[in-house]
Amino acid sequence: MATAAAVVAVRPIEPEQASLWSDAWRRLRRNRFALVASIYLLLLVAVALISTVWTPYRMSAVGITETYAPPTAAHLLGSDELGRDILSRLMVGAQVSLIVGVGTQILVLAVGVPIGLLAGYYRGWLDQIVTFIINVFYGIPDLLVAMILVFILGPSLRNIIIAIVATRWMDMARLVRGQAMSLREREFVEAGRAAGARPIKMLFGHILPNALGPIIVQATLGIPAAILFEAFLSFLGVGVQPPTPSWGSMANEGVMAIQYAPHMVIAPSIALSLTLMAFNFLGDGLRDALDPRSRR
Amino acid sequence: MAAPILRVRNLRTQFSTDQGPVTAVDNVSFDLYPGESLGIVGESGSGKSVTALSILRLVPDPGRTVGGSVLFHEQDLLQVSDEEIREIRGRDIAMIFQDPQSSLNPVLRTGFQIDEAMLAHKQATPRQARTRTIELLRRVRIPAAETRVRDFPHQLSGGMRQRAMIAMGLANSPAILIADEPTTALDVTVQAQILELLGDLNRELGTAIIMITHNMGVVAGLCSRVIVMYAGQIVEQGPVDQIFDQPQHPYTWSLLRSIPRVDAVRHERLRSIEGMAPDLLHPPAGCRFHPRCPFRIEKCLTDEPRLEEIHPGQFASCWVSMDRARAEMNANNLDDISPGAASGLKPGEIIP
Repeated sequence: MATAAAVVAVRPIEPEQASLWSDAWRRLRRNRFALVASIYLLLLVAVALISTVWTPYRMSAVGITETYAPPTAAHLLGSDELGRDILSRLMVGAQVSLIVGVGTQILVLAVGVPIGLLAGYYRGWLDQIVTFIINVFYGIPDLLVAMILVFILGPSLRNIIIAIVATRWMDMARLVRGQAMSLREREFVEAGRAAGARPIKMLFGHILPNALGPIIVQATLGIPAAILFEAFLSFLGVGVQPPTPSWGSMANEGVMAIQYAPHMVIAPSIALSLTLMAFNFLGDGLRDALDPRSRR
Repeated sequence: MAAPILRVRNLRTQFSTDQGPVTAVDNVSFDLYPGESLGIVGESGSGKSVTALSILRLVPDPGRTVGGSVLFHEQDLLQVSDEEIREIRGRDIAMIFQDPQSSLNPVLRTGFQIDEAMLAHKQATPRQARTRTIELLRRVRIPAAETRVRDFPHQLSGGMRQRAMIAMGLANSPAILIADEPTTALDVTVQAQILELLGDLNRELGTAIIMITHNMGVVAGLCSRVIVMYAGQIVEQGPVDQIFDQPQHPYTWSLLRSIPRVDAVRHERLRSIEGMAPDLLHPPAGCRFHPRCPFRIEKCLTDEPRLEEIHPGQFASCWVSMDRARAEMNANNLDDISPGAASGLKPGEIIP
């Protein structure tokens, strides 16, 4: 999904042009870890999509005779305390993780980018207010905020995303604010103003495109953080509610049976770890690829 | 002479600092006539760029224009609304900057940025804008304009980027083009081409040009009238020929004298102006040039001179003026131009 964000940014530039983006793409492809991570993530997206129409078993189909069954040919990853197929639940859980990860970052972008741009460009009292709010949000423990929000709003997927955004938008706002602050001093901004460009046009047409690199990296690295947070909430039982499977809640169920059915906790944990690693590698790869100082 | 297109009166722009206000532009008044090419010269910090920025209300924080008026088409640009001044920028008065490397947005195509200059003022549809952009790029003599429009700024050479900036400046056929040291960042051959281009555009399109530079050669090549600024004030103004021939302010005289000459005697030292530009936080009393002036008299230390017409059309603010310095202080044959050298008023002897 992170690749989707990158593709959106790359689209307006044709491949025959030697540009910032084509350079970045070339460097990204040369980064083995990032490449493998991208392939893994594409497969994960495919799995999540397939799971909407097909899974080996129905994810909520219980099997009285097969509770806590270890991995077999019939159930590749075994089954859980109700005899449900873990692979099927893992596949559906991928949907939750991806929706939470990507959905959170889309909202974070929608909130953080405009706030950061406005604060960094106009500075003054607006910036002081924004900085104050950001610091207040940083001051409150994020788990507390998320749990309170979920309790108030109710534990649905949408509300979990909102809760995570409430604890995660500040990083993006702060990053974009810093970018806007430094870019506003660049001469092309002055030239744009001298040419009579509207402030909105300057912000979104000139400053934002110049800040896209760091924004993409930040958004990509924010995805695993959001996925982990959701898993954590679900593990604590305030996340996605049954019967919808989440890797976090699956791990929670698995922990209770860890002595006699360790596969129940191992399977979602490995899926979670691999996904987090993949997003982090991709984010790091993007950082190197989009950083103008790392030109090779 | 036709009525001036731009009348700047008593312009004052200050920057607030921790130590107090710094008056970067102090009581500057001048007229710009239609189709004219006016040079503003001065060393770094003399206020020439801030004067230009003040006209368009683009002075960066913490600067503020605190007084005066800028009359353009009967309206005071310092009084109109933000929206009105935004419309005037780029449409009626365009500006090009020193460094073409950084005044084009690096991530957007050059042609697109020129299109935008027109679209920002709703002067054209996107299709018309593109047609005109290519036309403009041809006009500023960019070869293969049809393909160059699609280039990113980093794919153009420095000279081409400055041409593109000029094309952008001309996009809306402004009445006035303010060029803030447009050739400083370019090498000498390219400088000459850019100046020639600006001169041609000035003659062919009738665009009035305000050329801000520290280079007397640029003024000589392009301008018909020149304003010399020192420490935020105009010290001399008048027709270029006259000022080059008979400068009246000692500062102008020193500037012209410090231009390196090809026919100079070998091993002759480059002639500079001794001393440093004054600290505008605490400007010197009297004439601001007096600490560096070889011709100063006692009056210069206490009384501030005003611009006076010394020859027809030529104004200078000096108690002595070079006519007198030549006649009485042997200025033309002066070798030692250290402060006070010609008048005998040496630093140690100055009674404050």
